[in-house]
Amino acid sequence: MEQPKPHQIPDKDGRVVRDPPWIFRTYAGHSSAKASNELYRANLSKGQTGLSIAFDLPTQCGYDSDDSIARPEVGKVGVPINSLDDFHALFDSIPLEKMNTSMTINGTAMWMLALYVALARERGIDTKLLNGTTQNDLIKEYLARGTYIFPPDASLRIIAEMYEFCLDEMPSWNASNICSYHLQEAAATPTQELAFALVNAIGLLDLLKERGRFSDENFERAVGRISFFVNAGIRFIEEMCKMRAFSELWEEITRDRYGVKNKKYRLFRYGVQVNSLGLTESQPENNAWRILIEALGVTLSRNARCRALQLPAWNEALSLPRPWDQQWSLRLQQILAYETDLLEYPDLFDGNPAIRSKVDDLKRAATKEIDTILAMGGVKAAIESGYMKSALVRSMSARMRGINTAEQIVVGMNKWTEGIPSPLLSGADGGIFKVDPSATRGALGSLERTRKNRDADRAKRAIDALQAAARDGSSMMEPSIECALARVTTGEWARALRGVFGEYRPATGVDGQKLGLENDRVEMLRRRIDALVDKLGHRPRLVVGKPGLDGHSNGAEVIAVSARHVGFDVIYSGIRLSPDEIVLSAVEENADVIGASVLSGSHMELADQIMAGLKAHGAEKRVALVFGGIIPPTDFEGLYAKGVKKIFTPSDFGLVEIMEAITDIIEETASS
Amino acid sequence: MSQPPVINDVDLVHRALSRERSAISELVSLFEDRRPQAAARRATALAAVERHPKNRSAVVLGITGTPGSGKSSLLSCLVPTMLELHPELTIGILAVDPSSPISGGALLGDRTRMRMERDEPRLFFRSQASDTQLGGLSPSSFQVCRMMRRLFDCVFVETVGIGQSEADIRNIADRTYLVLQPLGGDEVQFLKAGIMEIPDAFILNKCDEPSAERSFHQLYQSLWLARPFDGGEVPIHKTSARTGAGIEELGKSLLEFVQSDVKRDPRKREAVIFERWVREEWGRNGSRFLADVLDGSRNYLEMAGGFDRGQQDFPGRVGEHFSKKAGR
Repeated sequence: MEQPKPHQIPDKDGRVVRDPPWIFRTYAGHSSAKASNELYRANLSKGQTGLSIAFDLPTQCGYDSDDSIARPEVGKVGVPINSLDDFHALFDSIPLEKMNTSMTINGTAMWMLALYVALARERGIDTKLLNGTTQNDLIKEYLARGTYIFPPDASLRIIAEMYEFCLDEMPSWNASNICSYHLQEAAATPTQELAFALVNAIGLLDLLKERGRFSDENFERAVGRISFFVNAGIRFIEEMCKMRAFSELWEEITRDRYGVKNKKYRLFRYGVQVNSLGLTESQPENNAWRILIEALGVTLSRNARCRALQLPAWNEALSLPRPWDQQWSLRLQQILAYETDLLEYPDLFDGNPAIRSKVDDLKRAATKEIDTILAMGGVKAAIESGYMKSALVRSMSARMRGINTAEQIVVGMNKWTEGIPSPLLSGADGGIFKVDPSATRGALGSLERTRKNRDADRAKRAIDALQAAARDGSSMMEPSIECALARVTTGEWARALRGVFGEYRPATGVDGQKLGLENDRVEMLRRRIDALVDKLGHRPRLVVGKPGLDGHSNGAEVIAVSARHVGFDVIYSGIRLSPDEIVLSAVEENADVIGASVLSGSHMELADQIMAGLKAHGAEKRVALVFGGIIPPTDFEGLYAKGVKKIFTPSDFGLVEIMEAITDIIEETASS
Repeated sequence: MSQPPVINDVDLVHRALSRERSAISELVSLFEDRRPQAAARRATALAAVERHPKNRSAVVLGITGTPGSGKSSLLSCLVPTMLELHPELTIGILAVDPSSPISGGALLGDRTRMRMERDEPRLFFRSQASDTQLGGLSPSSFQVCRMMRRLFDCVFVETVGIGQSEADIRNIADRTYLVLQPLGGDEVQFLKAGIMEIPDAFILNKCDEPSAERSFHQLYQSLWLARPFDGGEVPIHKTSARTGAGIEELGKSLLEFVQSDVKRDPRKREAVIFERWVREEWGRNGSRFLADVLDGSRNYLEMAGGFDRGQQDFPGRVGEHFSKKAGR
């Protein structure tokens, strides 16, 4: 047999082999459990190798589909799950024991895990065979994503209890994923991503140690269960270096801080979804190239290659992807893994001095930041004091400033903006996905049936036992599984624990933003607004609201700060507001404009609800409604017909222009 | 500019008194309006409200304290508790936040802390920008309180406590509460804060924190040093918005005050505010004219027939006086 050469990969017997590919996933789910099941089975037949379940916002925030705050969001960004009956439908004809199932679930992660275990038990499958991940990283929910429910202490306890449960009952399950993905979506720098994710992992391991439920040997195994979910942006060389830095730093932390002896448990295991923040609404076809380049950053280097990869779709800045868009992204992964020779080589970058130096730089900066946070009391303290949030908000404003001034080039958005219209957008559906409004009826029907058919006493006893465990500090995992088996609903599970732990309301990230908006246009706008003060008798007032359950608040916060910057009085009340609350704010504050930020695709329903609320107060003529967010142009006419005055989308990135447009509206109303 | 017909404002008052929120909101805006022509409309509205049988005479409670002392969280527990303790009580809240000295704009973000389980028609919440650099009270806070006290049983005015707002609020509120959080250091810090002389009562919030008991005693001792000549003892309430401790007791004590007849004379207050308004608009000459020629603010307002009439007439009086002087 020939000796393998340095450019070849030997297996343990010295034979030349090709690496197996990473797991191919597509983040998917919508409308109802039944519709999503059909989608999953279709994707698996196309060569997808793992499931990545997207839940709708009510499920993520712990509300039943028929709750009034949930209604407009049911089935929009993912599948609604109300009870174990929905899980039976979701995984119908899918062999759990052979699946690697990743669930993007956080505030209700323990509940979804309990449902998965209960499903396995009812199907007679050994839970030790279950493979997969519950995302379950509440730190990044507080910082960036927004689907938290409980305060930090309760959330961290839930995460710890899930690790304690999984270690023996589901040894191949990742009880949580430490996420830096969402931090980059909130504009974190590579250093911030490294530092915040690692300090988050340290906080979790310190907590597991402090709780003392693990022997030393089991603690070491638990360290081995920590996995990460990372982002990859367009600066793909730096991103690859970031991944190498992650691996090295994790190796050092697990060895030096926790004394983990077994090398296997010190491996940095991670999955990736590549960056969506940098995807553009203008010339959206360019995003296909961006996605390809970003995928290279996490696959090129064998020593820092991801375990699983999810790619967004080219049209993500316009709407949720259609099945064809997802297939196109999956094909990219298949070509990269099977057509190219990528998987035939050992690491291509070991020993490269440029890469080594860049990795060292990132490690140094990240270590410094980690030390800073540990010195202030660790990740929980840095969340509660707002330190991490305001750092991210500053990064976001720096990014916006870069794009506004075209210092940071974004092709097709602030440079080379003229182009031939994309034929991809000219199909009958305009190149975007629409949820069939009748599809969510299935979710409501199944919820009603579950409530009617269950043993009401058993359900009540299960909820009481869950609350008792929450109060006395014992594990809530088994009581949650009993709740699942007793057909308790998602809303009931979350309400029971809200009753014990309360609900978290964080500081908004509006402090400390610098927008770099100092020029003649701003001065001119300020004079126009001063003139309005005389005309209206008050300084123009703007209510900035995020109706519904979607928690991506950065856009709304940048708008709130910009509006104050040009001279508005701004009422901003954070996320997760019902349309009624926003209307009441506008009425009691006598606002001139409501600016509603919607990224969940529920803009039509929310426009209806807000307009109806304004009419009920007789304020529909006095208060102008504008929308901002991910809204497809095909919906513009419909929104204008409902009375919306102006719509801003990601292509309206000029903050001064947005403020001018809002001022135009107020001036028009004032003179009519 | 066209004047809306006067009948509208009377109608607005009637709708506001039947708890129609958008009407209350518009009335508040009328009292925030700093254009000269708004004074006449205010006089009409106030006259209408006084004729109306449902007209109230609320107690105004000032809540002040440094940022971070937990005023908003405290109010968010206290207000629902008071509404529950007294099933007919109506409460208005005016929350003042600082304006940017550069753009004049402000971020007003306290509302959602006051979230109720369901829509509560007995509660009205309004934010206001301070319009000043220091984060004290807005010049229109006083004006708004004149109307709000006619529409509710109890009005809270919440200010950001930096600098002079504690002193300002005494000119608006019938009773002023200073919210403090437990301090780590010694009693000198309470004294250094320089705000001990102002409030009628103290609320030591976050009393679930370990240092709270020590802080309570230090505060008690500091009070002796800072206010040696106080007649009675100044009350110190201990609360925790987090655990709910002391909230019901404080609520009961406030309700007792709301239902009592001990109120300050609004005319005295109006006189102080009027003096300040004259100084802002006409400078030292205006102030001297008010004091020397018109025999002081209080006297002038009585003669002119109230605050709004006083504001309407004053520009003419002052103009006449100075043009005569110039002609001489």
